This record gives sequence, C-alpha cells and structure tokens, in this order.
Amino acid sequence: MGQIVTNDGQNVSGSPKNDSLNDTLKRANEAFIKEQQNIFKNVWVPVCHESELLNPYDFRTSSIGNDNIIICRAPDGKVNALLNVCPHRGMLIERRPQGSFLEGQASGNPKRITCMFHAWQFDMRGNCVYVAREKEGYQDRFCKDDAGLRRLRCSVGFGGFVWVNMSDQPVALLEEWIGGALSPIMRQISSSPLEVVHYHKEIIQTGYKDEILNGLERNAGLAANLFFPFGHFASHNADEKTVPNGENKFPAPNATKSVKVNLFPGYIFHLSGPTLHVSTITPVSQNQVMVENRGLAPTSDSEQERLARSKHYNSIFGPFRPLKSEGPTPNGKPESNSPELSKHYNEEWVRWMEKHYNENGSLTNRVVAQGQKANPNLESEASGPKVVVVGASHAGIAFADKLRKNNFTGPIAIFDRQVGGPMERPPLSKGFLLGGGEIVESKSLLRQKKWYKTNKVRLKTQSIVHSVDTKQKTITVNNGVVVNYDKLVIASGAKPRELPDTVGVANAFTLRQPSDANAIRQAANNADSVVIIGGGYIGLEVAASLRKKGMVVSVIEAAERILARVASKPLAEHFQKLHEKHGVNIFTGIGVDKINHEDGIFAGVVLSDGNEIKADMLITGIGVFPDSKLAADAGIETQREDGGAILVDEAMQTSVKDVYAIGDVSIRRDQSLAVESVHNAQETASIAAAAITNNALPAIQTPWFWSDQYDTKLQSVGIVPVGESDIYQVARPGKKEGGISFWSYRDENLIAVEVVNDPATYMEARQCLDTKQSPDPKQISNRSYSPIDSGGARS
Amino acid sequence: MTNASAVEIEKKIEKIIYRTALALDDNDWKSWFDLCDDAFFYSITSFSPEINKKMTYFSGNKKELVGLMDMLPKHNTDHSPLHRHTSVYTVEVADEGQSAKAISSVTIYQNMLDGINSHLDSGESRLFVIGKYFDEFKIEDGNPKFLSRETKLDNRRLDKGSHWPL
Ligand SMILES: Cc1cc2nc3c(=O)[nH]c(=O)nc-3n(C[C@H](O)[C@H](O)[C@H](O)COP(=O)(O)OP(=O)(O)OC[C@H]3O[C@@H](n4cnc5c(N)ncnc54)[C@H](O)[C@@H]3O)c2cc1C
Ligand code: FES
Repeated sequence: MGQIVTNDGQNVSGSPKNDSLNDTLKRANEAFIKEQQNIFKNVWVPVCHESELLNPYDFRTSSIGNDNIIICRAPDGKVNALLNVCPHRGMLIERRPQGSFLEGQASGNPKRITCMFHAWQFDMRGNCVYVAREKEGYQDRFCKDDAGLRRLRCSVGFGGFVWVNMSDQPVALLEEWIGGALSPIMRQISSSPLEVVHYHKEIIQTGYKDEILNGLERNAGLAANLFFPFGHFASHNADEKTVPNGENKFPAPNATKSVKVNLFPGYIFHLSGPTLHVSTITPVSQNQVMVENRGLAPTSDSEQERLARSKHYNSIFGPFRPLKSEGPTPNGKPESNSPELSKHYNEEWVRWMEKHYNENGSLTNRVVAQGQKANPNLESEASGPKVVVVGASHAGIAFADKLRKNNFTGPIAIFDRQVGGPMERPPLSKGFLLGGGEIVESKSLLRQKKWYKTNKVRLKTQSIVHSVDTKQKTITVNNGVVVNYDKLVIASGAKPRELPDTVGVANAFTLRQPSDANAIRQAANNADSVVIIGGGYIGLEVAASLRKKGMVVSVIEAAERILARVASKPLAEHFQKLHEKHGVNIFTGIGVDKINHEDGIFAGVVLSDGNEIKADMLITGIGVFPDSKLAADAGIETQREDGGAILVDEAMQTSVKDVYAIGDVSIRRDQSLAVESVHNAQETASIAAAAITNNALPAIQTPWFWSDQYDTKLQSVGIVPVGESDIYQVARPGKKEGGISFWSYRDENLIAVEVVNDPATYMEARQCLDTKQSPDPKQISNRSYSPIDSGGARS
Repeated sequence: MTNASAVEIEKKIEKIIYRTALALDDNDWKSWFDLCDDAFFYSITSFSPEINKKMTYFSGNKKELVGLMDMLPKHNTDHSPLHRHTSVYTVEVADEGQSAKAISSVTIYQNMLDGINSHLDSGESRLFVIGKYFDEFKIEDGNPKFLSRETKLDNRRLDKGSHWPL
C-alpha cells in the first residue's frame, strides 16, 4: 500500500489525520447518495418541454438521479413518463435523446417502444404488447399483461413543461408543490403556446447546491425577494413589493422586466426581458452537476421577433455570452447578496435530508388534506372503516384477500418498501435462482395486477412506513406523507440475520426479498463456487439450486447436524445423503472464524479448525429475526424490550387496540415458538380478518411446511420438537420408490410427520393430526397398515 | 472568366481561410477584421437533436464584433488559448467570379491555462469543439473578402468558460 508523507517528512498513513480525510470523502459520498434518495427521488422535476415531443409517438429521454426515464406522447396526445428500463432483464431500452416511434426502427416495429435485447415491445403508455416466444417460452406462467414499463407520475403545465416525480406518493401534487412560486410569471408564460428554441448543457465542477447558491450572486439587480413554501423563492426588478402580476401576454421583444423563480432544489424559471430561460440541474457526483439551459419563445413569433429575442437570450444565457468581470468573492465561497434566500433554500434542504417533514405540523396537515384529495378512490369507492396494512407479502396480501372474502367494504391500503408487485418468497431459493433463462419472475407474483383492481386493494410499493402514531391513528410514509387508519395491521415479516464480518463485502448475500434473489442469481451467473453458511432449509435449497447450475457448493453448519432447529434427525440424515450424492460438501459441527475478502470482494472463509475454503460468493442463511422495530418504537409490546416478535392475543390484536400483527413478525402470547412459514402467514391473516369483520375466529390448523431440493419434495405437518429427548421417529416406506416418511411420537402420541416424495401419505398424516388421531407407532413402519381410522386417538 | 482565374480565386480563398485560422489562434482580431467586408456577419449555430431544432448561439455584424472585441479584456473569460485545425473541403466560385462559397471542417483544441485548478490543468490540451465553417465571400479585383461566416457546431454540451470567436 502506498504511504502518505507530509512536507516535513512525517508518515501519516493510517494516522487520525489521514483517516479523517477518508471520512470526509466517505461522508460527502454518503450525503450525495442521501440527497438522491431523499430529495431527487421525491421532488417534481421539469424534465423537458412539451414542444420537444410535438406529435403522437414522439419521445424524449432524460434521467432523474440514477434512473433513466422516457417521456412519450401517446396517440391521444397525452404525455406519459415511464422508466426507460426493460422489465425483462433490466436493460436500458431507448438510447436516443429524442425521436419518434411512428416509423419502424431496425430493431423495432412502428408505434412501439422495442427493447433491442429480446424484442419485448411496449406501447406509449408502457403496456407490454409483445413478448417474443411468449406462449412457447412461458406457457401460462407469464402473461405480457403483467410486464409493463413502470409509469411515473407526470403532469404537463406551467408554461407547457413536462414535470415528473419518481415517487408514487409525492408529498404534494404538482400544483401544491409549486404553489404560488411561479405566479409572478404565470400569466405571461401561459398566455400563448411556447417552444424551446435554444438548448445547451454544461457540466460544472461543483456540487449542485453550491452552483445554485453561487447563482444567487447573479441575482444582482433583482431587488425584491418573495418566499414560498417547499424552499422556492422569486426575485424581481419590478417596483412592486408584492408579487408582480404581469400582463396576460408573453413579453414583447423589447421588454426589460426580469423575474427569476428558483424552484427547489435547482430548477430556475427566469423571465428575462423578452425571453424565458429555464435551467435544470442533474447532479452527477458530489462535485459535479449538469445544467441544462433552455430558451423559450412563443410559437407565434415572426422571424424578426425571434431574432430579437435570440440576441437578447444569447447575450445573457448563451454559451458564448461575454462573462462579466464580477471580481472574486472573498475566500472563494458562494456568498449571496441575499442571505435570506440562501437561508430559505438551506432550511428546506435540511428538512428533506433529515426528513423532518412534519416539523411544525403545518406541512403534515397540508399533506394529509392533499393526500385525501389525491386518492379519491380510497374514500369514494369504498365505505366503512379504513384498514391500513404494513407489508405486502404472504401475510399482508392473504389478509386483504380474506378481508374482502369476509365482505369487508371499507378501503384497504397496503404499503411495502419493495419495488414491483409482491412476490412469493418460497420460489426465491428454488426455481427462481435457476432462472436467467426463460423463467420470468411474474409467475411468482402473489397476485396478478387485476386482483388489486377487482378487490379494490390499493397497493403502494416503494413506500416505507417510518412510524406509527397509535394515539392519532396515523402512519407516516416516505417523506412525511401521513395516512390515517381505523385498523392497522402490521405484517412486516422478518429480516435475515447477518454475520457482522460480511457486511459491506461484495458477493456476500443473505436471502429474503426478491431483490436479494435477483442479486444472487446474477452473481451466480459469473461464479464457479459458493460457500453457504447455515444448513437450514433456505441454505440447503440454495445449495441444491446452485449445485444444479454446476457450481462447487460447500455448506457449513455450526450444529452437529443439518436442519438441527427444524427437522428430525432421520430426515436430516436423509437430506445430508441426498446433498452428498449430488456432490455438495457439507461441514457440520464447525464454525466460521474469518471471512476473507480481496479488495472488498468475498474470497473465502476460514473454519474454526483452521481450514480455508475459497469461493467466489457467500450466502448466509442462519435464520431470521422479526422486523418489529416499527411496532416497538410506537410502544406496541414485543417479546423483549429491545425487540423480538410482536405479542398478540388469540385474535392477533397487539397490546394496542385496533392494531393487529400477523405473519413472521407476530407471536401469540400462549405460543413458545415462532413459526415462520407461508401457512402461518395465511392462518394468522385469516384470524385477523375474521376479528376485524366480527366473524368467528377460524380453527387453528396443524402447521405445515414444504421444501423442494433437487427432485425431492419434502412436506411436513406438525412441529418436531427437536431439542426434546422423549421424541422418537418411526420411518414408513413410501408408496412409490424414493418415497419415505418419518413419524414423530411422544409415547404413543403422534406429534409431527415429515414426508419425502409421497404426497398421498402427507395427506393421510395431515388428516391424522388435524383430527387428533395417533396411528400405532409399532405398526406405522408397515406399508400395508393404514394410518387413517386405525383406532388410535391422541391424548 | 477564364478557368485559370477561377482556380486562382479558389487558391486565394483557401489561403484567406487559413490566414484567418492563424489570426484567430493568435487573438489577432484586427488582422481577421481586415479580411472581412464591412457588411460581414458572423454566427455560431448548432443543430440540437435533443429539441430537434437549429439554434443560433451567437451572432453579430462587423460593428458589433469590433465593439465586443474591444470589450474582451474587461470580460472574465477563460484564458486558455484555442488552436484551430481547418481543412477547406469545397470552394465554389459564382457570379462570374464576383462571389464564392466555401465549406471547411474545423476542430478546435483548448490548451489549458486556467482550468479548475491550473496547478494540475495548465498545459493540457483538450478537444474543445468540432464543426464546420460555412463561409461566403465577396470578390473585388480578384481578391476575396469574407461576407459571412457561419460556424456550425456539433457540440451542444459546452462547459463553462466557453469563448469566441471560434
Ligand atoms: C427464500 C425463502 C424461501 C422460503 N421457503 C418457504 C417454503 O418453502 N415454505 C414455507 O412455508 N415458507 C417458506 N419461507 C418462509 C415464508 O416465505 C415466510 O414465512 C413468509 O414470507 C412470511 O410472510 P410475512 O408476510 O409475514 O413476511 P415477509 O415475507 O417477510 O414480508 C414482510 C413485508 O413487509 C415489508 N415491510 C417490512 N417493514 C416495512 C415498513 N416499515 N414499511 C413498508 N414495508 C415494510 C417488507 O418489505 C416485506 O415485503 C421462505 C422464505 C424465504 C425468504
Ligand atoms: S431485456 Fe428487454 S427484452 Fe430482454
């Protein structure tokens, strides 16, 4: 490693001084990422002008933060904004800055947006209209109706600009967001159709904030300042102290008034004499910003008028304008001639960065009021109490489904932080990982798009619920959007445990969400070997999937055997043999002492016996913990003060009235062991739905579970109390070759049954446990003995 | 007009274009203006595929240009010198040898002097802009003078510190 030596010859490599430089850079980078996340993904951005896509099928591409977007004009003239990313494999679709889809392209049909990679086609609203080899490749598992481009919030207005907000739930509607800020120039810029006549961009070697604050210097001569909510402000050179209310026509070619409106965080509308100059920022890095400059004029201009405006525009805003000698500012820092403007801007910036969006209450109220306006469906189409669900996975979706099946007519809104339609989790460790070929994720959707519409369930993805106020009965989502509820259902599930040494290491993964599975799948396509820490179901399923891909797979389990917490010993031995037969290296009773990485990329592990296993990627599958922080922070009782599952009664109600918890995040007070399974998610969902609709609570079924590894299907019913010495298993041969089941007993009482490749026996076992029958343990190993109605009742 | 004189005029036009490049490289505005007719008109234009329009970035007649050049020292411009590489592609003499048009390619490099941090940047050469000159000439007594020059740029990204004439 290189050394850093100061002028006076001291080596400061690794000294606190040197660390602090790294820290500063790291902090700057973190702040940049946070700005992208907190600010740019949530504000309204004027991405282009409607004159840049004049005709049906015209398009314009742009980017907000690191998202590529495409704006197109539909045949009905409406302008739509879409994510310019193909839902098939996430490739960028359209690369030209501007153009038309009217005529066919080399790689695309007329009137279609075509992805050049595998020729999926979309219409101007983003609907997927053609999937290559849809029927042959996907049979019924996938339908193009489910695979549109992501539609973004988009409005055209305020002088014909196209405004896009990346958030599905902006803190304010466009009109609210701009408020009165553009009113000083509104009459002029809306009086006649405008067109962009000038465009140039520049990359400036400074952060966007400094660029904007520096620009306030150039407000010299604009005497009066006006302040607006959301950090916007305007400056002008008119005599009036109030908002100048210009004439109801675009300024004449000899006009001299100047009004400059700064919209937060850096979109400037400057009506300067006879021209409208609009500059927009796109941050590139913490010290680089791209500024796009547009000059606009009325479409009705004569050649003479256009020339006069153009001369004026170029002398002030053009790339070859003479730069006035303004003299340096003392110490080179941006110093505004209007400190109040910088203050107003900075205060807004801090609000977004710290998410104090409901600081003084006023904004929160505004947002609530506007939120209700923005979602009329919620209020008008349905009547009854309003149910809000946190978490759109197995539990949350099953709950909404049951609620509707119980004839609940009130509004239902489900919030989830995930991107895209909610997906089943079980396939993520199984078939999904083998994908990358023809398997399309959409077959694993928990519900197809139509279901939400038919059942009037409002799904809000990419929406993080930050807090719950159980007194006000509200939740706060993303940047301060406040939503009220009558009944709240927390279905926030569980999070995978991580090994601290793996945090931040590239090619080291855990698996819980679709995005994790996608990342693993992609890494596996470029890897030959994998270490899996944890020999539970998820670890073993992943081992089977990656082995099928031909990778060298090593599973490390600290306990004496695999499946130590969840399955009987004979079943675990069965699976150990199965994996060994397929060539998986299983290490049991051994820990991991060290995670090795090279340049931050996972390289291997050192076991507690000193042996090293080198591999290209790592997957940690060592269990989960309930994601109950939201509830704990709201004062809802959890197993321990510092977390654990949310405690619920037999109706799934938490310690707070009208707040329920279901699925992996919950545990009944009378239960000692949390069950993390799809069945538990569905059952707890049914109970809560019944309780909320005042129906009788459904009977609790015996828990069941399944796992697929290679071509072996495990189905288990009942819970095997693995740590208890008085439990024993009897093996029963299967009806077909390769089938076997393990019946767990305490004395003569049947407790649980684990069935391998024998669905008929599984059905019998389930019936026994549901009807509290205990077939004779001495005879169960005999294939000709029927376990059903054999006379043994459980005590 | 004889063929020989047309060839002669073409040669003269090539020469005047190259002499202009040298004068501009040296910021010798006077020598440049001396090669221009009083009715000379200069513009920098570009076609933007982004907005699908032809744009004018700069324009002025001789009088305005002279005025602007006089102001130059008072302006806070980038001091990095520009160097042009020009190739004359076509010269078309018309009107019985009274006028001509020429198209030349132009590539302009910027030899850094100021930069963001002159300590690091000065001395480096960067590609500044690319484009073509579309020139029109008035020919009197066999001697061409510039009537107009349109510098058609391909660049639409022009970072801070851009300056002219190009
Ligand atoms: C890879 C894998 C394979 C599995 N295989 C099987 C199997 O074969 N059989 C079986 O029975 N079970 C299996 N399971 C377990 C099963 O999937 C879980 O028990 C089930 O998903 C639990 O559902 P849930 O809705 O309670 O929680 P989760 O599935 O964890 O979902 C919780 C949701 O809440 C969201 N959320 C949390 N907090 C917030 C917040 N503050 N704001 C917004 N959203 C929030 C999360 O984004 C998440 O989408 C598997 C699990 C995994 C991960
Ligand atoms: S990535 Fe677009 S069609 Fe495959």
